[in-house]
Amino acid sequence: MPLEIRLALVFGLLAVAIAAGLIWRARTGKAKRVSGGEQINLAELAAVKDGKPVVSFGKKVTFLQFSSEFCAACRQTARLYSELEQVHPEILHIEVDITNRIDLANKFNILQTPTTLVLDANGKVTSRIGGAVKQQTIQDEIGSFVI
Amino acid sequence: MSDGTKQTPAGIDPRGPRFGAAITSVLLLITVFLALDPTTLGAAFGVLLVVTGSFAIGAFFGNSKHPYGFIFKKLVRPRLAAPKELEDPRPPKFAQLVGLLVAGTGVVLYVAGASGALVFAAGAAFIAAFLNAAFAFCLGCQIYVGLQRIGLIKKH
Repeated sequence: MPLEIRLALVFGLLAVAIAAGLIWRARTGKAKRVSGGEQINLAELAAVKDGKPVVSFGKKVTFLQFSSEFCAACRQTARLYSELEQVHPEILHIEVDITNRIDLANKFNILQTPTTLVLDANGKVTSRIGGAVKQQTIQDEIGSFVI
Repeated sequence: MSDGTKQTPAGIDPRGPRFGAAITSVLLLITVFLALDPTTLGAAFGVLLVVTGSFAIGAFFGNSKHPYGFIFKKLVRPRLAAPKELEDPRPPKFAQLVGLLVAGTGVVLYVAGASGALVFAAGAAFIAAFLNAAFAFCLGCQIYVGLQRIGLIKKH
């Protein structure tokens, strides 16, 4: 194969990889509104927080984060929610590891981790965030709830 | 059934695996270039063997025992500021295993006579390694749950 074509193919591959990365970065961590969202059943989640079962939702908003074992972004996202929980007592962050809960992954159609479901005070899903979350996105979500 | 606070192995500098992924993506791009011409296909196989071997070390022994991890620790990290946070070593290890499967498939098919498969295996592995190095793309986050849901990974 002529050198020019080989170089063109190699740079083409590089361009495809850069384009894929830019698209991925632009899409990840965005909150999408969910209309007619379902009611979350805390007993079914069997979520544990600070060693105790979670039995009630956040006063204003709950961030339900689904994580998995081999997920670096899940740790960063969980840390971010925990920090915001310190300054916003009206929010609650729940993390559920779905590595052993494929039933939940199927039920909520989770393809990537972290995936966050944003719940209102009654535990109804209002938005869905796929991928690592940015602080601004969380603050916007908190601001979108009025009580 | 976990709150995400179960005991995790000692953390690693998240820039270590990304430094390794940068070296790997350069090697894989060279592999693709060499594999595109029959006269250099043998050389492409040689480079892919090296990359496959490095994936095997990463997948079975982790980044801390990896030659790229060693270079990072001795030559790169001393010149950088301390990391903001440490990272769980298991996600990058999982990514190395996926890399091993993809690059290894190229090696096996080449040896079996399907030498045309080499360029595709190298190209696919390049995209994953490049996204990891340049965009902090985490393969375990993106595909682990999906693989489990379609039954390719079984976890008790």
